[in-house]
Amino acid sequence: MLAKTPIKEVKGMDMRGTPVLQVVDLTKYFGGLGAVVDLDLNVHQGEISGLIGPNGAGKTTVLNMIAGTLSPTNGSLIFKGEDITNLPPHRMAKKGIARVFQSNTLFGNVSVITNVRVGLHLHTNIGFWGAFLASSYTHNREKLLHEEAMEILGFVGLSDQRDQLAINLPHGSQRTLCLAVAMAVKPSLLLLDEPLTGMNAEEVNVMISLIKALRDERGITSIIVEHNMRAVMGLCNRIAVLNYGSKIAEGTPTEISENSAVIEAYLGTEQDVA
Amino acid sequence: MFEISGVVLLQSIVNGLVLGWIYVLMALGMSLILSITNILQFSHGEVYMLGAYVAYYFAVVLGLNFFVSILISVMLMAALGLVLERVFFRPLRAEFLSSMIVALGLMIILQSSVTIGFGINPKAIPSFAPGSVGILGTRIGSDRIIAAGISIALTLLLFLFLKKSKYGLALTAAPQHREACILQGISPDRMSALAMAIGSALAAVGGALMGATLVLNTFMGSTALLKGLIIIVLGGMGSLLGVVVGGIILGLVDGVVLVVFGPVPASIAPLLLVVVILVIRPMGLFGHEF
Amino acid sequence: MSSRGNPINTVVILVFILFLLLVPAFLKSNYWLHVLSIVGINVILAASVHTIWCTGELSLGTAGFMAMGGYGSALLAMRAGISVWAAMPLGGLLCAIVAVALGYPFMRAKGIYFSILTLLTGEIFRLTAWYYRSLTGGPVGLSHIPSPEPINIPGIAPITFDSKITYYYLIVVAALLSLFVLFRLQRSQVGFTWRIIRERDNLAASVGINVLWYKISAFAIGCFFAGIAGALFAHFMHLLAADASGKFGMFTSIYILIYMVVGGEKKFAGPIIGAVSLTLLPEVFRPMQEYRPIIFGALVIFMIFFMPQGIVDIPHSVLSWGRKMVGR
Repeated sequence: MLAKTPIKEVKGMDMRGTPVLQVVDLTKYFGGLGAVVDLDLNVHQGEISGLIGPNGAGKTTVLNMIAGTLSPTNGSLIFKGEDITNLPPHRMAKKGIARVFQSNTLFGNVSVITNVRVGLHLHTNIGFWGAFLASSYTHNREKLLHEEAMEILGFVGLSDQRDQLAINLPHGSQRTLCLAVAMAVKPSLLLLDEPLTGMNAEEVNVMISLIKALRDERGITSIIVEHNMRAVMGLCNRIAVLNYGSKIAEGTPTEISENSAVIEAYLGTEQDVA
Repeated sequence: MFEISGVVLLQSIVNGLVLGWIYVLMALGMSLILSITNILQFSHGEVYMLGAYVAYYFAVVLGLNFFVSILISVMLMAALGLVLERVFFRPLRAEFLSSMIVALGLMIILQSSVTIGFGINPKAIPSFAPGSVGILGTRIGSDRIIAAGISIALTLLLFLFLKKSKYGLALTAAPQHREACILQGISPDRMSALAMAIGSALAAVGGALMGATLVLNTFMGSTALLKGLIIIVLGGMGSLLGVVVGGIILGLVDGVVLVVFGPVPASIAPLLLVVVILVIRPMGLFGHEF
Repeated sequence: MSSRGNPINTVVILVFILFLLLVPAFLKSNYWLHVLSIVGINVILAASVHTIWCTGELSLGTAGFMAMGGYGSALLAMRAGISVWAAMPLGGLLCAIVAVALGYPFMRAKGIYFSILTLLTGEIFRLTAWYYRSLTGGPVGLSHIPSPEPINIPGIAPITFDSKITYYYLIVVAALLSLFVLFRLQRSQVGFTWRIIRERDNLAASVGINVLWYKISAFAIGCFFAGIAGALFAHFMHLLAADASGKFGMFTSIYILIYMVVGGEKKFAGPIIGAVSLTLLPEVFRPMQEYRPIIFGALVIFMIFFMPQGIVDIPHSVLSWGRKMVGR
């Protein structure tokens, strides 16, 4: 029923070494519906990798599988050489994969800085029994956590709002806070699901520069699902295009923008190009 | 235990299936209400019971024709459903815990009201179709056959309504499409009210039929509630076909276990079955992932 | 949480405890001691449901676990010759273990499915107790369940637990201990993580929190205390019978849930206050026995609509209303 367009060969095989993330034959069926079919993708260290496609193409499903929220029907995920295919989300986080959800997913009723601190607990984890026996951290640990959290908030520009309730922040700041919480996990791979939704031009620029800074200053690799084409073109090193669950093109932004199959996939759907 | 003849087993199975359809009516209503309002209608069992007792009142105390009594009961219970929705559930639409507690409160009130009004002794509505019919070598009371027939007919009617009419389609639309329904002029309020009215009407029929084929007592509501829960959990929330299949499974299990093991295991077995199935498939037999 | 360390709270609690300890001095009636003992048991039950609710899951099978704890403790004491003092915690432990075993499969089901599962499980426990005569005595039940063995204090006469007064004190101590443990738990890092999970479990998982483990732990701890309450009940009433509905059925679980919500589910004290007031309230209406459930149900609905934060919020509402009146 769906016309499977052949995958466009990327001109000149790149020699960038073993990828940070290898997606091999990734498949997800919901009942009889193939949301993602035989996806192959390689993401290399320090890349900002874009995943685009019309609505319903399966992009969020792919992210869900990488993040561990969904189990693939078939295929495998290899992260830094290790098979992580069916791990649950909290184990993925421990491996170094963090995620920013599509809508503003935050701990709304606690403060901004507490949100970040929850993420920090992963690496300062004293375990369940430690937590039970100690009703609060020692003074030193408290101080350390606070400093780390403030450092992250400073990076994203939310230091001044640290004591505000997360739910009271304006939309753009909430988005940024989501990024900060993901950073707290100290990931090597960051999954961003439509991070720019609902942001004005200025906020978009801030977020873009943050993502770039994460790559440049902290060496964090990112996979970003977005509809904002201009941002994607400007931000990503490589872009993969999905349609109806299959990859129809992959390459640099220039190559993708000239790819006929991609243009065809987007024609007839209301996609914002600006 | 192994001395049971095939006929006795078959008899029990057929009986279970026939009575099971009445519980399907309960489950259909509960499932519909649950998928629209997101409220687990704990008071639905009491609507079922009230429907039975109202029918009893008109049929036995006032001496009206049984089917007329059912009709009156249906109208009254549908009206009750609308009132309950408007007064108690609509204001609490977003609040899961609060609406559940209110439903529980209503359940308590309705149950004790009926107990006070009618007394705790079990009652029965005289059979509207005396005699029995032979099926596959078993004998089933004619009233039960007719009751099953009515239930099946109503189930089909409901399916038609949900698939063909504008309101019906709106009711079954997935939450993402709710906005589209609002644009078409069907408000969520109206959908909730409609779901409650239909559900309560179905429950009333179920209760009345149960009263006529078996018995009326003050805990029939809780029993029906549990059976309804079993069915919708077996079949998966939001799947009406699943409700039917769940009801058939329940009827089968009831029938078989009753004969092989006795009445108490017959109550335990469906519960165990649900637990086991949910462990294997957390979304129910026909439910969707997520 | 804003009143943590608030000295007024501490004083109130101490005064209340003192009051509890002195009650038998001026309340000679065995009947009222019985009622207050039941209040104590209900308080533990309400707190146990509240603990599970910290993770956002609603357990409707409390009565079933109460039965399991009660029967477990009674059988251990009567058939296995174990001291009642050991049997009671073991009954609770049994419930915790079963909860862990059930928790793994149950927690995979979405929120409301989980609640339905607990409801059905409670029913299964009750019906099983009713059916297995050889084990539980069936509908007739277990009778002559022993009281806890006397405690010998050197120099003073041993404390026996056959009378209502001493058992009342036992329940008070048990309840205070349980509440203390649960309070510390809810205020600890674990409790904080529970509430984080309730707020947004997908986000919690994505930052590395093992959501399943934390939810099961809350469930197991809650069921442990439900079992303890059941054991206390068994050795208090000296009789356990899983009758047709009644004590260990769906309605009891529902009532306990109502205690929690009407008392106020946002604060730790809420379920306690709810259990106390709603257990004592029917006593006020004893003359109108038949109408009590209706009054109860109506009251519950009234509270949800007009005081959704629960009884525990009354002082706060009165204060803010007062401030508004004064025009601050």
